[in-house]
This record gives sequence, structure tokens and C-alpha cells, in this order.
Amino acid sequence: MPTTSTSSAAWRRAEARLVAWFAEQGRRPAPFQRAAWKHWANGSHGLVHAPTGTGKTLAAAGGPLIDGVLNPGTGMRLLWITPLRSLATDTTQHLTAAVQAMGLDWRVLRRTGDSGSAERARLRRGACELLVTTPESLALLLSYPDARERFARLRGVVVDEWHELVGNKRGTLLQLGLTRLRRWMPEARIWGLSATLGNLDEALHALAGGGVLVGARAQKKTIIDTALPEGGERFPWAGHLGLTQLPRVLRAVMEARSSLVFANTRSQAELWHEALAAVWPEAPETLALHHGSIDPKLRFATEEGLRVGALRCVVATSSLDLGVDFASVERVIQVGSPKSVARLLQRAGRSGHQPGMPSRILCVPTHLLELAEVDAARRALAEGHLEPRHPMRGCLDVLAQHLMTMALGGGFTADEAYAEVTSSLAYAHLPRDRFDAVLAYLCTGGSALASYPEYHKLADVDGRYVVESSRIARMHRLSIGTITSDGSLQVRYMKGARLGSVEESFLSRLRPGDRFLFAGRHLELIRVRDMTAYVRPAPNRRGGVPRWMGGRMPLSGELSDELRSSLALPDPRSKEMQALGPLLGIQRTQSAVPSPDETLCERTRTREGDYLFVYPFAGRLAHEGLAAVIAWRLARMQPGDYGYAVNDYGLTITAARMPALDAETMRQLLHPAGLRRDIRASVNLSELAKRQFREIARVAGLVFNGYPAQAKTLRQLQASSGLLFDVLRRHDPAHPLLWQAEREVLDQQLDFTRLRACLLRIARSRLLWQEPKRLSPLAFPLWVERLRGGIATDDWKSRVERMVATLEGAA
Amino acid sequence: MSTRDVVIAGERLTLHPERAVFWHAQGTLLVSDVHFGKGAVFRRAGIAVPSGDTEDDLQRLDALFDELAPRRLVILGDLVHGAATERSAWVDDVRAWRQRHAAVEMVLVAGNHDRHFDVASLGISVQPDRLAAPPFVLSHHPHPHKEGYVLAGHVHPGTVVRDGWRKHRLPAFVFDRDVGMLPAFGTLTGLHEITALPGRQVFAATPAGVIPTR
Repeated sequence: MPTTSTSSAAWRRAEARLVAWFAEQGRRPAPFQRAAWKHWANGSHGLVHAPTGTGKTLAAAGGPLIDGVLNPGTGMRLLWITPLRSLATDTTQHLTAAVQAMGLDWRVLRRTGDSGSAERARLRRGACELLVTTPESLALLLSYPDARERFARLRGVVVDEWHELVGNKRGTLLQLGLTRLRRWMPEARIWGLSATLGNLDEALHALAGGGVLVGARAQKKTIIDTALPEGGERFPWAGHLGLTQLPRVLRAVMEARSSLVFANTRSQAELWHEALAAVWPEAPETLALHHGSIDPKLRFATEEGLRVGALRCVVATSSLDLGVDFASVERVIQVGSPKSVARLLQRAGRSGHQPGMPSRILCVPTHLLELAEVDAARRALAEGHLEPRHPMRGCLDVLAQHLMTMALGGGFTADEAYAEVTSSLAYAHLPRDRFDAVLAYLCTGGSALASYPEYHKLADVDGRYVVESSRIARMHRLSIGTITSDGSLQVRYMKGARLGSVEESFLSRLRPGDRFLFAGRHLELIRVRDMTAYVRPAPNRRGGVPRWMGGRMPLSGELSDELRSSLALPDPRSKEMQALGPLLGIQRTQSAVPSPDETLCERTRTREGDYLFVYPFAGRLAHEGLAAVIAWRLARMQPGDYGYAVNDYGLTITAARMPALDAETMRQLLHPAGLRRDIRASVNLSELAKRQFREIARVAGLVFNGYPAQAKTLRQLQASSGLLFDVLRRHDPAHPLLWQAEREVLDQQLDFTRLRACLLRIARSRLLWQEPKRLSPLAFPLWVERLRGGIATDDWKSRVERMVATLEGAA
Repeated sequence: MSTRDVVIAGERLTLHPERAVFWHAQGTLLVSDVHFGKGAVFRRAGIAVPSGDTEDDLQRLDALFDELAPRRLVILGDLVHGAATERSAWVDDVRAWRQRHAAVEMVLVAGNHDRHFDVASLGISVQPDRLAAPPFVLSHHPHPHKEGYVLAGHVHPGTVVRDGWRKHRLPAFVFDRDVGMLPAFGTLTGLHEITALPGRQVFAATPAGVIPTR
């Protein structure tokens, strides 16, 4: 595919057409936009990074549009990939306008999971030059035998919001899809659009294997305000809901024309929406709720309301972090700590779209210690410490799914496929034996150790792997993607309108007639049938709010580092630290406030039991792993039953009777030597891997969610991933997906890298051992946390004896 | 492994942690929801489940026979999971097992899954709806019946037992006023959590014994 010299007259004429279109709208292309167009013409890959609302879309679209003018022709020329279906509609409109302005006769088509059958049929006939789609729909397109033909005229791919994809399995799946396209069309350019990240080079490498970084010069200023407790007001020591701040939030919302209130979890968003609705002084329809479990139709309606300025306030979760710009939003409010500097920046960027205006965000701490997190975030931002998002490496479940896609999209030989997948960053270091293990899983069911008669997903026909059964092909296409909604039920009115989905574990505790809060409405459960919960409106709520799994983000490493400094060396000018002063005073009197090179451990006996507290400030994930390790090591010192709880500052371990502890023993308990071995031993005892296995089993096609509208006939094939996990553990312990589950527990759930770094830091630090008589201010929030898990050295026999004894004692 | 005796409808029943009930007076062993061949059905549909589930379940039945020496085995429905093909090794395993225990009378009260397979061909007699065994009515579906106390399966009852900071999700025996439900016997079966109701007795089957719950 020829590149075009940007000094040629033809290229400059085409560029002039684009510049004229900018001028028609009273704008001029920014230098970074023109730079991106030139790089495209030169045939480079690249990544455009700039804050939202600065024109990234046209930076990436300009190159291919100019190219389209210079090289006319039909067939799919440009693929535009967006992580959000809602974004696809907007992008399609935007790009259609640009295509028309350039005088191109391109047909622009959108294909996402909720495309109509007319759009799909048009696409099947190959009738478009520009396709806007999602990573999942791309994978689906690649699973048809004519995939290579369909993409034969492709000149480039643009991935929008790459920062949202780069760190997760959707990004891995997309990397594999892009690798496929690049292998077929080595000249096709791959471009990404991204918000600012701590690791842009790596993000570019994952996307395209290399290329140019193109950034907007002008950085937007961000101002962080805090809703501070007022004089004499008691502010809670713990908690994460923060409803005591309601009056201040309402006042802030009323001062602006239109506001976004961000909460950190869906449950928190539901409760804040309910609280605001109860005191809402305006028409009820001007307040709305937006989160990922609400039905897409309702979410689109809310987004549309924001766009046209009909809404005064939307309570949202990260579901509104990305996507369409809402020019009307004047004020952004963050309830609770944002947990990461990048996230704070992104949310703040949802306001102040006028050029030159700063972004502004009001942080609403839910308890006293979160004041320090706001202070820490401001410090990190001032120093430009943004979190990286690292691409995931070697996910075997995504690989299994992609190999099925490759088998359907023309078939492959093992050597070819291995060479192809290892040319992506995600699988660059994948050993051949692990690749072969995944292939064996697809062909025979599992590892060579166990027997799986009758099973064959992939068939080996003369050295080429293909899918022979049309049933398996259909099941695979229905299961493409890495977003799992395992165990969730649809919620809908009897009349038919859908409200969204709720986890089965929540609904299983409800009986018909029970009331609950969901999608900002009070509902009464009528009945549950065929994975659907039928509800009707209720006048009030007696019951609970659904909780969704995997809600809470850990405090980022960048923010934790700043937090330790904020607490140890408070800036006297910081309003947050001034408000926190009295609390830190109590901490200092009862125990100690650790400096950055100290580690604080406390032991306190309360009426409920004996508690050990450790404060590494390494985020809740690393603390969960560390808690398991300490509990495991304690259980080896003295057998028993150790439960633990964690938060972002530290961890607590409780037991009926703790062994004797002092600074020296703590040093041994926290020693990094043998960490990997001990964490494996303790993780094996817990249920963590089983939880992780849910997603893996779905992605790898081990469990099948069923055909739409055919749930009943397939009931025979329903098995919970937990059951499969137990069966595999017993019969096929070498199964590659079990290996994947354990690795994900280490890497993601327990943040092993950070955990090890944290123990090395503790080993170098001075250990402060304190035995406060009462719970210290740092200990209190941990004490009220729910126990997350524990280590027990007993067996079923002694458990049964104990449980029976407890029951008989109570009788 | 500790068993637990209960008195239901005036009869002594032994609840066994291997998810079975032994009725002493009649020398009858009761199990439910065995789901033989479930792994094979999954594998044929492209879901990789290792083989061995049916062999495990046959061995567990052997151990129960050795321990309790029943005269009769009654299966309360869903003995098999789905249709079999000639490649299904489990059918031969089950047939051989039946022949090893020729002296034991075996009766299946047919369940919803059993229509996919001719159980009689295994040498096990089949009762279509229910089997009268006064004072009990043995049935697959747990619906009350005027002729006696119903012992049934179908539901795969389970319960959550709290143990300090832990929660264990365990198969359960459930006894209401007119109906009792057995846990699913099969290794490859899931649980349906039942709710606590006034007057309902629930016993959890742990690997080490049967325990009452509140």
C-alpha cells in the first residue's frame, strides 16, 4: 500500500479541504491534529493522547479521510473501534459529518451488540467503507470464514479510548484481533486515542508494536475543592457512604446549572440518588441515576438528557467516566476518595469544556481519613504522578477464545497461530508449552493427565485446526467477549420494560413481596422466572440495595505514597490536614503516626476479641494478600482460626487467642522471605481462586450462558463455574485454566508485585509496636470492616464438633 | 463420619453425610438426583468437564452398600442426566455395577431427567410418578400427598452454615410438615439454597458428618 508524500500537491489539496471544513465551524486544526495527519500519511502507527474535548477524534480521522480522497475505492477502508456502545452512535454521526465534508462517498456503518438486523445485513453484504464497532463485534467479524476477504481493502484502524481497554481483558482480545488484521494487511496503520496515562509508551507498544506519540501541548488546569466538616460538626471516623454530607452536596448541585455526582460503587450511587431524591427541591425528572447495571435504554435516555441540558444532576459511577462529552455539565462532585489520580483527573475533566476554563471537582470525603486522601491527590497531581495501566500478559482464557475465533475464521496450524499470537505484546513471552496446553484444552478438554471422552471443540484436519460442529460454532459466536454477567438476573416490570440486571445472590435472599431499591426506583418483587425478576413499583423501601461484586477500587500506588507523606508531614496550609489535625493528635497520643520510613503495628484487645493491626498503606488488594500470609504464618506459630479484614490503609487479624507478639515477632511475620510459597499455601486454603474462575470459565468457553430466549431448553447444560472448579481441581489439577485462575488471584486480586514491594519496604523500615488500650483512629475503620476471609488449620471433623457444640450450647 | 438419626412420620431415618437416607425398618437406602452421565452430556456439548463423575458416584454407592447392607435402593428421580450415545462409557459402568449388586432390589421413581434414557435397560425397575411405602410416599417432586409423608428430591437443597468468620455452602436434608427433601447425591450437581421457615428442620451434610442447623 503506497504512502503519500505530505509535500505532494494532491495531499496538500486534500488537507486544505479538511482545514476549510474546520474554518466553516470557526475552528482551526491544532498542531497535534496536523501532526497526526502527517504521520498517518507517512504510514506510521501512533497514539494520540490529550484530555477529553480537545479534538482527538479528528486528529485520528483526518489522516484516513485525506487518504480516502487520494485513493478512492470501495470496500472497508477504515475500522473505528470504540469501547462503549453508547459512544458508537455519537462517533458515527461525527465521522459521517467529516466524511461528507471531505466530499467522500463513503458509507459509514455502525455494528455493535445492539445493532438492528438491517444494519447487520448491510454489513454482511460488505456495504461500507467506514465501520464503527466494538472489540467484541470485531472478534465476531473475525470468526466468519470470509473475514480475510472482508478486510482486504483495509487501510487503517483507530481505537478510541484505548486507556479504558489497555489494562483489561477486552484490551487483550483487541490486541489479538489487531494482530490478526496486521498479519493479513501489514501496511494497515493502527492508531489509538487515549487520555493521559503514566505509561503511554507501553500503551502504544501494546496497541501497534510501536509508532509515534502525538500529544496536545496545552494541559488543562484542574482545581480540587473539598467539602469540609463545619465548625463543631462531628465527622465519622469510618464509613463509606458519606450521607452526612448531603446538605453540602445539595447546595453545590443547586449552585450549578448541571452537575455530575460520582460515587465509587453502584450501591453507593443508588443510595445517594435516593437521598438526593428525598430532598430534591425541583421537578423529580431533573435528577437521574446512571450505572453499569441499569438497562442500556434507560442509560441512553439519561445521557441524552445530559446532552440537551434537561437534567440538573446525574448520580453516576465509572459508567460515565468515559464517553460522550456533555458540554452542559458545570460541576463535578466526587463522593468518597477517587482512589486514583488519573481517575480524579478524568472525572474533573467532565466539567469546564470551554477552552481555557479550568476543570474543577468538589471532593466529598465520607470519613475523616479521606481528607488526607484528597490532600494526597492534590500533591500527586501537582507533581504529575499519574497511574500507569499495564497491559495484561498471557491470559490463557482470552487465548482459548481467540483460537476458536481463528479456527472458525479460516482455520490455523499450531506453528502459524503461535507465531501470530506471540507477535502481540500480550503474549510476547508465552512459552510454547503453555500455548500447546491451551490448544490441548480445546481439542481434548483438559491436560494430558485427565480423560475427557466425547469432547472435541477443535478438530485437527490434516494439521489444520478447524471447528466441525455447527453447534459449537454457534455457541462460540454467542459467547464472544470478555465481559461476564455470570449469575445476574434481568429486572423488569410486569408490563415488560427492562430496568437492568442484579446479581443472583442478592435476589435469592428476597421473597415475593419484598421491596428493594434499584435503578433509582423503589420496587417490589413479584416473582423470579427464567433468569428474570419481575417487579412492580413500590411506595417505599423496607429492604436493601443490591450489591455488585468487584465494586471497590484499591487506592493506587501513586496515591498511597503521597498519603504516607501527607499523614507524616502534614502541610500546615492544607485545609484538609488542618481539619484532620485533632484526629491525628488522638492517634499520636494513643499510639503513633508512622513517618514514611516507619511501619506501625498495633495490638488491641476488645470485648469482641484480640486484634492485630498492621498499616502498610499499600491498597486493599495487596493488604488482602498480606493478611492471608500473616494469618497463615500465625497459624503455623499457633494453630487456630484467624479471620482478617482489610482497607486501603492496613489490615487487621483477629483470633480467639493470639500468640505472644512483639516488634521482633512482627518483623518475622512481615519478612519477604518465602512470600511466594506462603501466599500460595494460604491462597489455596481460601476461595479466591474459585471466585476468579467464574470469569475465566466464561471467557474460555467452559461454561455457556445459553442462547438468547432459549434458556429453558438448555437447562441440562447449566453448571456453576464453582462446581467445575471443584471437579477440575480433583480430576485435572494441571488444567491450564486453573493455572490462569491462580495467576490472576496473585496478579490482580492480591496485587503480588505491590505486595512484594511493600514487604521489602517494611523490611527496611523501622517497626513501631504499640499496644493501645482502645482502638486507635487508624484501627477503628478496620475494626468495623466485614471480615474478608481467614486461615484455619482445623479440618472438617473439628469444625463439625465445634459447630455442634455451639448449637448445643445455644439451645 | 457421623450420621444423624431423625424420626419422621414415626419412623427412624438415618441421615448419612454421603447425602443418603437409610430407613432401618425396611432396610431401604434412599438417594436422589444422582445425574449419572452428566459430565458426558456436558462434554458432548463442548463444555470440558473431566470424566470420572459417574465412577466416583458408583464408588460412593458401593461404600454405602458395604456400610449399611440395604435390601432395597430407591432413587427419588433423576438417576441419569441426559441421553447417552454408544460412546458413553458410563452406561457400561452403571450396568456392571448393577450386576455386582444383583441381590439388592433397585427402584427408580422417575424424575424429569429420566425421560431421556431407558433406565429399565440397566436392570433397575422404574415407577412413573410415586411409590407408596407407608407411612411414606416416595416421589421426585416435593408436593404433599394425601396418602403419606412425602420424601422427595428434585430441588437439590442446600444451606449456608456460619462458622466464625466463615460461611460453608453445604447440601442439606430438609423436613417440612408434610414433605421431606433429600440433597442431590451426584458429585456433579449444584445447590439451590433453601430459606429457613418456621417448623422446617434443616440438616447440613458436611464431609465429616451431618449437623443440624437453625
